[in-house]
Amino acid sequence: MIRHHPDNNLLVEYASGSLPWAMSLAVSAHLQLCPQCRRESERLNHIGGGLLDDCEPQETCDGALDRLMQRIDHEETAPAEPEQCAAPAPPSRRSRSTRDDRDPALARLPRVIRKLVGSNRPLKWRRVSPSLKTSRLAAGQDRYEVAFQRICSGGKVVEHDHRGREVTLVLYGSFSDADGVYTPGDFLLREPGEVHQPIATQDQECLCLSVVEAPVHVKGPLGWLVNPLLSFRPA
Amino acid sequence: MQQTQSRDDDWSKLLVLVGSRQDRAAFERLFHHYAPLIKGFHYSRSAQAFSAEAADELVQEVMFRVWRKAASFDPTRASANTWIYTIMRNCRIDMLRRNSRRQDADGGDVEVDDIWDDSPESQPLLVLQHKRSQRDIAAGLRSLPAEQSHVLEKAYMEGKSHSEISNELGLPLGTVKSRVRLALKKLEAILSKQGAS
Repeated sequence: MIRHHPDNNLLVEYASGSLPWAMSLAVSAHLQLCPQCRRESERLNHIGGGLLDDCEPQETCDGALDRLMQRIDHEETAPAEPEQCAAPAPPSRRSRSTRDDRDPALARLPRVIRKLVGSNRPLKWRRVSPSLKTSRLAAGQDRYEVAFQRICSGGKVVEHDHRGREVTLVLYGSFSDADGVYTPGDFLLREPGEVHQPIATQDQECLCLSVVEAPVHVKGPLGWLVNPLLSFRPA
Repeated sequence: MQQTQSRDDDWSKLLVLVGSRQDRAAFERLFHHYAPLIKGFHYSRSAQAFSAEAADELVQEVMFRVWRKAASFDPTRASANTWIYTIMRNCRIDMLRRNSRRQDADGGDVEVDDIWDDSPESQPLLVLQHKRSQRDIAAGLRSLPAEQSHVLEKAYMEGKSHSEISNELGLPLGTVKSRVRLALKKLEAILSKQGAS
């Protein structure tokens, strides 16, 4: 059961289109897993519909409809719609199965995440510590760092804090920290300065999507290697 | 009320005609109704969000997508207003992204319709029978205290995030958040009538 959801403020930002791209990606993946928030977000779309219905109409420029109909005519007489060409079987299906295809953690992902994986294949994993691997994902933006975080079963992640907001969405397995246990679909938003130390459950590894506003500070004993400024911070 | 409600149904019917048989007369009626609203949504009192030219460009793009996507419109799931709102929002995100795209943005082919995905197949678990009481929502919005409707308008019509609104109005972020939540609470009764049952 999903116990951690984006709050209504975040959903309003998403529904109104003002939430940054990478954060919206994480919210969208949560919505694809969570009927409750999905319904909430539909309701928030109705507010947009209501505002549209109620706003003051402004006359459009001369010939707007003619221009549009010309474009429609042009599209319809064009030999092939790009969308229709792109639709049939993606070539990746027929190509040799890769390690990513056989990876159980990647087997059942929300649609938007499958698309994200598809454009980042093959995934490149980097070992951050014995229990944590990470794979950065290009998502068409540069404000946030989007990545998969993978904690091996029972693995502990070095205690760390964040300079910026961080969203974590559990996709496979589960992990816990001082505040509780998190399972697939759980959406966690941490504000800058919150310190935590995630631990994966014993029997299964854990895969999360993380969206971070600024690079993570490592606070463990070797943290100064990664970020020298940190050694001056009170522990 | 009866009359206005059936009006919204009329727009839905026209959309269905466009989707099922590319009915141009129906589309033209939709255009005459929605194009000025789409423009007004982005270019009105505030007028900062878009220039008149940009708003006209947006109208072209939104109505083009309405034509193309009309077949996927399902009148049992959403009212015409809400459906067109979602297309318009996605169009605006696309347009702003195109204009502000920086050189160092990384790649990736995730598109706006992947993230803001309102297609029926994206929610197999939900079967909702929508009561089209959009007019109630509009009335509900009008009944909100000005400071609450103001933040919603800034969010939806100007596309501003809570922190941008907070900077612009010189209010603490917490105040903006609580105004939005209060507004939602007031609208809740109307919105749950829309969503559930």
